[in-house]
Amino acid sequence: MDERLEREIQRVGRALAAAFPSHRGNALKALDNRAMDLAAEDAELRAALFRFVDVVPACRSLDDLAGHLTGYLEQVHTRPPSLRAAMRMGDTKAGRAALGAAGAAGVRHMAHRFIVGADPAAALPALRGLWRDGIAASVDLLGEATVTAGEADRYAARCAEALDALAAVYDALDPRPMLERDTLGPLPRANLSVKVSALTPLLRPEAPERGQRDAAPRLRELLRHAARVGAHLHIDMESLDSREAVLELVLALLAEPEFADGPSAGVVLQAYLRDSPQTLDTILAWARATPRAQPLVVRLVKGAYWDHEVVAARQHGWSVPVFERKADCDRNFEALTTRLLEARPLVRVAIASHNLRSVAHAIARNRLAGGDDADLELQILRGLGDDLGHALASEGLRVRAYCPVGDLVAGMAYLVRRLLENTANESFLSDHAHGVPIEQLLAPPA
Amino acid sequence: MSLEPFANEPVLELRRAAARAKLTTAMEKLELPLRVPVWIGDERREGEELVSTDPSAPERIVALAASATAEEAGAAVAAARAAFGGWAATPAADRAAALLRAAAWMRERRAALAALAVRECAKPWPEADADVCEAIDFLEFYARGAIELAAGAPLLQVPGERNELHYAPRGVCAVIAPWNFPLAIPMGMTAAALATGNTVVLKPAEQAPGCGLRVVEALRAGGVPAGAIALLPGGGDAGAALASHPDVATIAFTGSGAVGLELLRTAADVAPGARQLTRVVAEMGGKNCVIVDSDADLDEAIPAIIESAFAYAGQKCSAASRVLVHEAIHDAFAERLAGAVAGLQVGPADDFATDVPPVVEREAQERVRRYAQLAAEEGAVVTGTPADAGAGWYCTPVVATGLPADSAVLRDEIFGPLLAIETVRSVDEACDRIDALPVALTGGLFSRNPRTVQRVVARSPVGNLYVNRATTGAMVGRQPFGGNRLSGTGTKAGGHDYLLHFVEPRVVTENTVRHGLVV
Repeated sequence: MDERLEREIQRVGRALAAAFPSHRGNALKALDNRAMDLAAEDAELRAALFRFVDVVPACRSLDDLAGHLTGYLEQVHTRPPSLRAAMRMGDTKAGRAALGAAGAAGVRHMAHRFIVGADPAAALPALRGLWRDGIAASVDLLGEATVTAGEADRYAARCAEALDALAAVYDALDPRPMLERDTLGPLPRANLSVKVSALTPLLRPEAPERGQRDAAPRLRELLRHAARVGAHLHIDMESLDSREAVLELVLALLAEPEFADGPSAGVVLQAYLRDSPQTLDTILAWARATPRAQPLVVRLVKGAYWDHEVVAARQHGWSVPVFERKADCDRNFEALTTRLLEARPLVRVAIASHNLRSVAHAIARNRLAGGDDADLELQILRGLGDDLGHALASEGLRVRAYCPVGDLVAGMAYLVRRLLENTANESFLSDHAHGVPIEQLLAPPA
Repeated sequence: MSLEPFANEPVLELRRAAARAKLTTAMEKLELPLRVPVWIGDERREGEELVSTDPSAPERIVALAASATAEEAGAAVAAARAAFGGWAATPAADRAAALLRAAAWMRERRAALAALAVRECAKPWPEADADVCEAIDFLEFYARGAIELAAGAPLLQVPGERNELHYAPRGVCAVIAPWNFPLAIPMGMTAAALATGNTVVLKPAEQAPGCGLRVVEALRAGGVPAGAIALLPGGGDAGAALASHPDVATIAFTGSGAVGLELLRTAADVAPGARQLTRVVAEMGGKNCVIVDSDADLDEAIPAIIESAFAYAGQKCSAASRVLVHEAIHDAFAERLAGAVAGLQVGPADDFATDVPPVVEREAQERVRRYAQLAAEEGAVVTGTPADAGAGWYCTPVVATGLPADSAVLRDEIFGPLLAIETVRSVDEACDRIDALPVALTGGLFSRNPRTVQRVVARSPVGNLYVNRATTGAMVGRQPFGGNRLSGTGTKAGGHDYLLHFVEPRVVTENTVRHGLVV
């Protein structure tokens, strides 16, 4: 099996790589990629640019913007000529205005790459375009952190409106059989991802029941709403501080009798957590005990809070809860993929990764076990995994893009996190962008 | 003795259910009340003059303590003086070993000690656990520091003479401790004095004699001789008797400004029969300000300020009591902060869900309410949700705005869950207001501009400035803690130079020339 599997992974992976679209002649994409390369090469420069991206929404004037930018660049020791020129602009008022305007425009341009629109209506063209290309979406509403009950209510209301808007958007689209049905039955077109941390200001790591109690009414209402409009509701996972609260809450609500027939709903499993296999035990035991008309969707991700988890653990003297070697994490990702595929039809499986090896592994494993391609969803992030998404779609696979929606101001923190992942040293995307040979990209984790 | 480099004792990972269960089990096993004696050498006199109760449920008695008389204070100092020669002559490594064994004793009892702090001082669980860890940290940190200090300090050497500087302990140290970090602070001051070879009379706060008992038990279990550490539970009289005693060489104090200044006055007045000047190491109050500039990330600033002002009901000397917000973001900030305060849960300390526990005693509750009343009269207040729980000394969190510049609310250390918001036109104006204060303990700044950070660092008089984080939670070895101006004597607990306040440098110069020969 192992040899057959490796051969199949190679075959699938090479086919996908060959199907990647070419960007020759696309000046804007090339510019983006050059900025990303620059940031990836120098940690100090990367920090300076991220801090700038992060502060742009809070700046009050072009002068203020330029003051922050030059302040960050002062802390970069090796400055390319372009940065030295930028810093000289900071010496005069006119220069600062120009620099501030250029910086803000640069950030806004980058943000558009990741954020599909200010609200679901504005996102319509992008969502329609994806659907036409054979890619479904899960919309994620960006916003500031929730620190008050009012903010939690507003987020819940935005989610409810988004469910309506998405249902209307997708009603009007032409059929896409591959995206709308697996062997278990129909799949909702409209799909919204929500964060429990935005549904309550009361998530407390040492008292999970507080956040659960506070978020439960809002989440329950959203589940009802999703059921009414026939949409899928996916509950995102965040840092380990809230994992217990989020997972227990979602499983408890979905077990309530009123939700036995719907909506379609899902949770997230983070493969970078060392104890993620035990979390999967919990999820599968729940699924066995809780028959649902629409099986729980489990989205397997690597996890987006790696730096946070490592820093928090080191500051507190705790053992680091995440794998610190990429290969260990990748191996766990594959093991969890296998378990999830084998657990069907108890759950539906979504593999969310930009790692060509991980994706090819999931596809190959599914096919070798006699599974239907329709029973494996592959997810990518809009703005980062676009090429992979199109390659998967062109191979006839079921793809969903995770699409942030919201204004650029509120989306900045999100944006910075995505950039961090993209430019992290061991990222597949940066490897791929730098011409690492395909054999290496598809090699088993070691 | 070769020791591992110092590392902070890790707090419990309370986001995991198993860690929480460990604490609640310890609470079930906690047997109260404790009996706390006046404990001098091997003599224990028990009594019930002092009753320590649970601030979350005042009918629960946590400890029945004897209250030391002035005679007992004298006897304790005499015993400490008698033991001084032997302890001072004990090699620094052996003294350090005793402190490390005391740390091990506490480590074995972490959950039980935390449970006691929850009951006696209404420390919420995470803070009670952190208090135990900090006590352990002080033992480990000062043990290492004292070994290093025993090597003396290098001096310039020329042919024909040998110059040596070594540090000698000062003598008897009176430790007068507060209740708000009921294990860590008494242990910190005591451990510093003992590590450097002084003997100690510890007077714990009258609100926390039970925790004081555990501090002395830990040290004695670790092998500190009975004569070198005495326990003197009692009220202000016992403290005053210690402070004016001619044989007390050092007073180590953490507490209110009023008491601290009184101790400094008493110490300055050389007692009849005194043979040395009394040194005072004093850590007093503050009026801690946080600056929020227009570019601050409010998503992070608001939770951090809430924690700074309302955790442990604001009863930390490091707690934030004033926020100076740039006018450009004032309205958004005030609205979000008020909304966040409304969600705080006031309740008993042993409930993991509690955000704001009760204050320590009825007098404190009355004081906080007086200031809340004053703030409502002089400005406007937004209050949180009142406690939905029994008879504890609960105070509803308050945010005050629009106070006049001369308001007592902006000047006095209230030591409770009351936070004042002010508007400033610029960071420089905020710095001016902070500079006008006579106290300078902690400060906070939320800004994402490196140049603003530099400017505030240069202008800030405080002992501990926190940038883009909460103003509380100083860690031993990482954030040496202590204030300037009238906030204290400028000493830094948990820092490398703290031990120097417990020793006197002695220099020996020997002529090594004999009849023209350098020997």
